[in-house]
Order: sequence, then C-alpha cells, then structure tokens
Amino acid sequence: MLVLNNVSKRLSDGRLLLRDISFSVGRGELVAVLGLSGVGKTVLLRCINRLTTPDSGNIVLNGDGNPVDITNCNIQELRTVRRRIGMIFQNFSLIKRLSVLENVLTGRLGYTDTLHNLFFGFSAEDVDRALNVLDRVGIADLAYRRAGTLSGGEMQRVAIARALLQEPYLLLADEPIANLDPNTSERIVELLREITISEGIGTLVVLHQPEIARKHATRVIGIKNGVVCYDGEPNISEEDLATIYGRTTG
Amino acid sequence: MEEQQGNLERFYRNKYLFPLFLFLFFIWSVIATDFNPKTLVEGFPNLVDFVLRMFPPDFDAFPSLIKPAIETIQMAFLGTLFASLISFPLSILASNNISTSGLARNTSKSIIAFTRTVPDIVFALIFVSAVGLGPFPGTLALAIHSIGMLGKLYREAIEVIDPQPLEALEAVGANKIQSIRYAVIPQVLPSFVANTLYRFDVNVRASVVLGLVGAGGIGFELIMAMRLFKYRELASILVITFIIIILSERISDALRKRIIGEDVLK
Repeated sequence: MLVLNNVSKRLSDGRLLLRDISFSVGRGELVAVLGLSGVGKTVLLRCINRLTTPDSGNIVLNGDGNPVDITNCNIQELRTVRRRIGMIFQNFSLIKRLSVLENVLTGRLGYTDTLHNLFFGFSAEDVDRALNVLDRVGIADLAYRRAGTLSGGEMQRVAIARALLQEPYLLLADEPIANLDPNTSERIVELLREITISEGIGTLVVLHQPEIARKHATRVIGIKNGVVCYDGEPNISEEDLATIYGRTTG
Repeated sequence: MEEQQGNLERFYRNKYLFPLFLFLFFIWSVIATDFNPKTLVEGFPNLVDFVLRMFPPDFDAFPSLIKPAIETIQMAFLGTLFASLISFPLSILASNNISTSGLARNTSKSIIAFTRTVPDIVFALIFVSAVGLGPFPGTLALAIHSIGMLGKLYREAIEVIDPQPLEALEAVGANKIQSIRYAVIPQVLPSFVANTLYRFDVNVRASVVLGLVGAGGIGFELIMAMRLFKYRELASILVITFIIIILSERISDALRKRIIGEDVLK
C-alpha cells in the first residue's frame, strides 16, 4: 500500500542522511523502524507525509486503488494525501488549551470547508464521529477535559484518536512511547497494533525498544548509515540487533 | 604590556569620564529648562489660589457631565475594538513564524511601527481637521494609534507559541487559515485578552487628553471649563475623570480574571 523507491535525503550541511531507502508497508502491517539516534528515522517518516521533501526517489501511497506519488504532487493534492496519513508524535502535539474533543476534531480539517470551520466550527456529524473514536481508544469519559490537564498516556490516546478521525490508510508514529512509563508504553503499542489490524491500515512506528518491537510488530526494519540493513521478522536475532545498533563505520 | 596599558586607560576613562559627562549634561539641562526652585516657591501662592477657586466643586454640573463621561468610555471602547480587529491580521502577517511572505511581513511591521511612533494627539489633530470636532475623530485617533502597541504585542505572543501543534495540523492536511484558527488562536488567546484590556485602560486615559484638542468626551468639557475660568466645574470634571478611570480599571481587571484567570495561575 505504501511503497518507497530509492528515497534519498541530504542534510543542509551536505551530508547524505538517507541513501536509496526502499521498502513497502502493506495493509494490517505494524512495521517497527529501529536504528541509532540521529540515523534519520524521523526524517524518513517526515518524508512520507512530506513535512520534509526528499531529494530523490519516490513514495507512492495506494489506499483506494488510485496510487498517488507523494513526492510529486501539488499543494492541493498534498492536502488530500495528508488527510489519509495520520501522524503521532513523541510530544503528542496537542493544543493544550482546547478540549480533548476539539483536539480530536482537528483530525477532520483535511476534509472540512475552511469558511464553515471559521463561522460554525465542526458539523454534528463530525462530533459524533469524534465521540465514537474516543470511545474506541478508551477515553470517552475525557471528551470535555482540557487536553493540557491529561496524563502522558491519555494525551497519546487523544493523538491516536485525532489520527483515526482522519480515516487514514497509513499511520506514522514517531517514537510514540518515548515520554511514557513502561506499562503505559505497552498499552499504547497494543492499541496501535489492534487498530492496525482491525482497520486494515498500515502503520510505521519508530521505536527505541527492540523488545517491544519483537512483541508487537509484524515486521522490523533496521536503518544504519542511511541504508536499510534489516527488513524481516519481528523476532529479530541478537546478531542482527548488534548490527543495527553496532558501531557505525564512517 | 601595551594591551594592559590600554585596558587601564579604558578603566579610568569609564570611571571618571562618564560621570563627568553626566554632570555637565545635568548643568546644561537645568539652564536650558529654567529649572529654578525659587520660581516654584514664588509661584506657590498662585497654585494655592488656583486650587482654592476649585472649592467647593460644582456638583450641580454633574448631571450634564454624565453624557461626556460615558462618551469617553465609548470612545475608548470603539477605539480599542477597531484597533484589535485591525491588529490581529496585521500581527499574523508580521510574525516570523506564521507569515511566509517577506513583503507582507515587512509591510505590516512598518505599518505597526508607524502607528506606534506617531503620538495619538497628532492623529487626533489630523482627524479633527478632516472630519471636524467631536468624539468621532478622537475614536479614529485612538484606533489608529493603538494598532502600534497591540500589533506589536500580538505579534510577540504569536512568535512564542509552541510550533508542534501547528506542524501536527499541517500533517493532518489543514490549510493555513484552519491552522491559525485551531492551533494559533487557542494558544495566544490569554495574552490577546490581557493586552487588549490593558490597552482599553490606556485608551480611557488617552481619550481624556484627546478631548483637549477638541476630540470629544470629558476632556473636551475639561478644556472648555478651563478656558471659561469655571474652576468649580473643573473640579467636578476631575472627580468624574478619576471615577471613570478607576471604574474602567476595575472592569477590565474583572474581565481579565474571568476570561484567563486559570491560565494566569500556571
């Protein structure tokens, strides 16, 4: 469903961060991306919804039978692609002064009419959808709380709900559990896996915990020195892990 | 060695030369402004005479002053309202983090700086000569001059917001206007409310001064009473001015607490 072909990205200082990255993610797959800090995992994720533009290669998303080349579309097309790609951030990226419900509703912004938003907010239909999604991620009772008053685990559930309201084909999660305690982390990744399978979407999650990847991912991709050095079974061997996290050369 | 010598010279220069300059400038300023305690002491009886003439305040004039007093508050209200309506889009265009066009940024920054630099009384004089005496030119002057302060403070509030929610909405597929509505406005609202209410306070006081150049309100009554030597009426005007300034401060404090109270505590 998502296919990356020879994606490369050079940093502003000229260093080649990502070199000819190619892989694909299918429906119902939870793919964990492992690698050392600074290896470019976040940049890779940001290339996929084009918060960062790659220098070469192409990225094709095919959610509904009409493949779209994300690396090669205009502003308007980009908006319609982005609304089908949910993104979940390390720091949750919620608007703290708004209620949980309003935060989730912002997931509809790729679909709604700007003038309608300005004068009337969101439609009753979208509010119903949002309440359903909140129920789905297990925090229906928090709908009218201010997002800033929640715990980390609750905030990440709000962010997942926001992404789900986009009716995504693809979820990108950038270290979603880096700010959470081990128990909460486990619950959040379980939730991601459950959603991935039941909704039939593809999920790409950057992780720093190989044991969680082993337990919950359906596939693991390892990145080292800008290239994919492992792409396979989630029960990754210690040798392969050592390759991913081993001393970099050059 | 030579460098050390230089440092030592600089040390003595800073230590003695600067205070010397300050002292000389002080003497010059005293001469230039005829600053003379003796003149003040000699003029003191006149001062007492002036104040005595104001007593007792002419409370019979009170009813006729209610309307101009309310007018003063209304001038401040409308001036602040229009200023904030104009300042908001300007501050968005001027902000370094939201605005993408360098031309729009520099133009709106210049407009904001210009309206701040020109004193409100100058705007009032211009508008009085354009549209005639009365509260309307005063309101215009307040509106235009207030853009300078509000635009600058709004812009500063916008530039320190957390950029992450903004990026999250970009990733969702939101356009610029939607992002401003849902990621910028909620974050800057407390500071917008606080600054706007503060400007309302300032404008109530400023509108009194604007009356002096014929721009309506209680200030106009004040200058008329002085010109006609009605000192007792002048006294009651001062009392009313004092009351409306205290009142407007109370009202804006109460509003501020109601709207953003919980955020101030954070």
